[in-house]
Amino acid sequence: MKTLLPAILAFALAPLRVLVVLVAAIVGVGHARAATPTVAELLAKIDTNMTYDTRESYITMRVTKADRVKEYKMHSYGRGQDEAAIEYLAPSRDEGTKMLKSKDELWMWLPSVEKTQKISGHMLRQGLMGSDMSYEDMMDAAKWQTMYSGVVSGEDSVDGRKCWKVELTATSADVSYPKRTIWVDESAYIPVKQELYALSGTLLKTWTMSDIRTVGNRQFPFKMTVVDEVQTGSMTELIFDSVTFAIPLQDEVFSTRWLER
Amino acid sequence: MLILSLALRNARRNTLRSLLTGGMIMFGVALLTCGMAWTKGAFGGILEKASNVMGPVRIVMPEFAKKEQLMPLEDNIADVGPILTAVKATPGVVGAWARIQMPVTLTVGDDIGEHFALVQGADPEWFQRAIDLEHHVTSGRMFKVDDDASGQCAGGHHGRPPIEAVLGVAAAEAVGAKLGDDLILDGQTQDGSISAVKVKIVGLSELGSSAQNKFVYVSLATLQCMADIPGGATEVLIYGKTLDDAGDVANALKANPAMAKFTISPWNDRPPFNSIAGIIGALATIAVGVIVFITALGVLNTMLMSVMERTAEIGVMRAMGIGRLQTVVLFVVEAMGIAALGGVAGATLGAVVAYYGLEVHGVNLGNAVNKMPPGLALDAVIHGDWEPYMFFQAFGLGLVMAIVGSALPAVRASRIEPVEAMRSRR
Repeated sequence: MKTLLPAILAFALAPLRVLVVLVAAIVGVGHARAATPTVAELLAKIDTNMTYDTRESYITMRVTKADRVKEYKMHSYGRGQDEAAIEYLAPSRDEGTKMLKSKDELWMWLPSVEKTQKISGHMLRQGLMGSDMSYEDMMDAAKWQTMYSGVVSGEDSVDGRKCWKVELTATSADVSYPKRTIWVDESAYIPVKQELYALSGTLLKTWTMSDIRTVGNRQFPFKMTVVDEVQTGSMTELIFDSVTFAIPLQDEVFSTRWLER
Repeated sequence: MLILSLALRNARRNTLRSLLTGGMIMFGVALLTCGMAWTKGAFGGILEKASNVMGPVRIVMPEFAKKEQLMPLEDNIADVGPILTAVKATPGVVGAWARIQMPVTLTVGDDIGEHFALVQGADPEWFQRAIDLEHHVTSGRMFKVDDDASGQCAGGHHGRPPIEAVLGVAAAEAVGAKLGDDLILDGQTQDGSISAVKVKIVGLSELGSSAQNKFVYVSLATLQCMADIPGGATEVLIYGKTLDDAGDVANALKANPAMAKFTISPWNDRPPFNSIAGIIGALATIAVGVIVFITALGVLNTMLMSVMERTAEIGVMRAMGIGRLQTVVLFVVEAMGIAALGGVAGATLGAVVAYYGLEVHGVNLGNAVNKMPPGLALDAVIHGDWEPYMFFQAFGLGLVMAIVGSALPAVRASRIEPVEAMRSRR
């Protein structure tokens, strides 16, 4: 009798279970359809987290190439989409090196030559201090809403985080990466994984973001990792030791005067 | 003896035809002499000069050898001191120097410009040995190595002496720099970080080669600092007594277990020399072959005419008992007699033209040299190199032309039947 009871109960409750599953499925699907954000909504939320009016941060950049690891310490400032400044604090041979980005121009102060020099054009897309991040990657804070359009291609999971998978295509030709596939954390709205493609479809870099923390009223990743998919064996980690948003920054920081100070 | 006197008599009998044959041989031999002097001077000179610059024997890391076109700074020899000590103790080695070569942009003003150049960093002794730089500094002087300045990237400020450099005239013209100017070299470290050095231009060099005139020359310590390879270098260049010793020196170095992790190669095993030497050899052989063939064709023509004109005479001689072989010898000796005179004249004429025209005066290639890659730096004026042995070599080839050209007519003459020849009345 004891062995038959569960079977009888299962048989009796089977229609009810089917009903529950069906209802849950219908409700669930309805809920998922309603909750799928548009690309514009996703990009707007990402921009809210990743762009800023002003930002000051201390960053450690670790560049690994084969068996050689090089670590840099930087003090970085940013204002709006077009202005950024970096001062290198370590290692000693790069200490005092400063970079200033203003729109499409990059100015550099190298203590060894005590001269401000302008880098422009294709050099902006070269690796920053030998890293896998270009000067543009590091210093560009342009809003994705203005640069990309695309489609949400589905849901996926990255390191246990539920994500929206989004295929983005640049809306203008002067964008560093014409195509991106991004995985956007559904709760934090941070692109925890990105695949950056050339126009030809070649995968150039894989960029991941982790250690997401709340800073003020936004979510921000304190660790970023960029892997160069073209030059194998190369990886750059960017660790934010501290980051502050919406702070007053003097105009001088974004002037060539600051470089030579 | 009879055959010899008959041959000489025949040669004298139709002076015009003999002069024509001799003239052709003379022209061919003179051409060969000039060709040999040109090949030795031009190609030999290029190979010697280029291999001197690139090192008769070179030690690099295997990864560097695989992608040396990219000049990978990261694949460097971290500590060249012990390597140089071991190399200098190797039998047959007369000198060894470390070198770094890297691409830079040159800046005089504020913008990092689009003026690209190659900078070579080595001991001044190497610059002297490889390209005789000091004697090619046309204004100013050779750079000096100041330990207080060259071992660091910063010079010329905060009381430090300036880092000195010699700049090729083409690079100076491109960037608008002049003697005494400060020049900024923007390059990279071995890790890819941007790296810059400010140098003082103390000399402008004119090496005759447009490629080398775009170079910047500084001390090894300066580039060790710039590339962040303290105590290291990308290449160790090794010199034996002569270029021909390179193979033996390379083998001796390879036998040293301490050198096992490096790629050691003599100049002729490395691109572009490994392919160029064979191509030059093949081209020279083809050129000699063509000259010998064309001249022999001319000799064949005149000797064939001689045989046809003297058919009756040959018939009589054959009837008098001169055998087929003797007939062949008669014509070949006649041709060789003419060739001997033409050969001496041609070798003498060729020697005069090769020596005074090609070796002393040279041939100006003009802008053609600008198209050569830096590794094959050419002088604008190429000089031939005439050697006495070429006189005898060309003379010998003149005799070969005569033998080849007269063989067929001589065989034809030997086949003439006496009865038929006399009947033909020629």
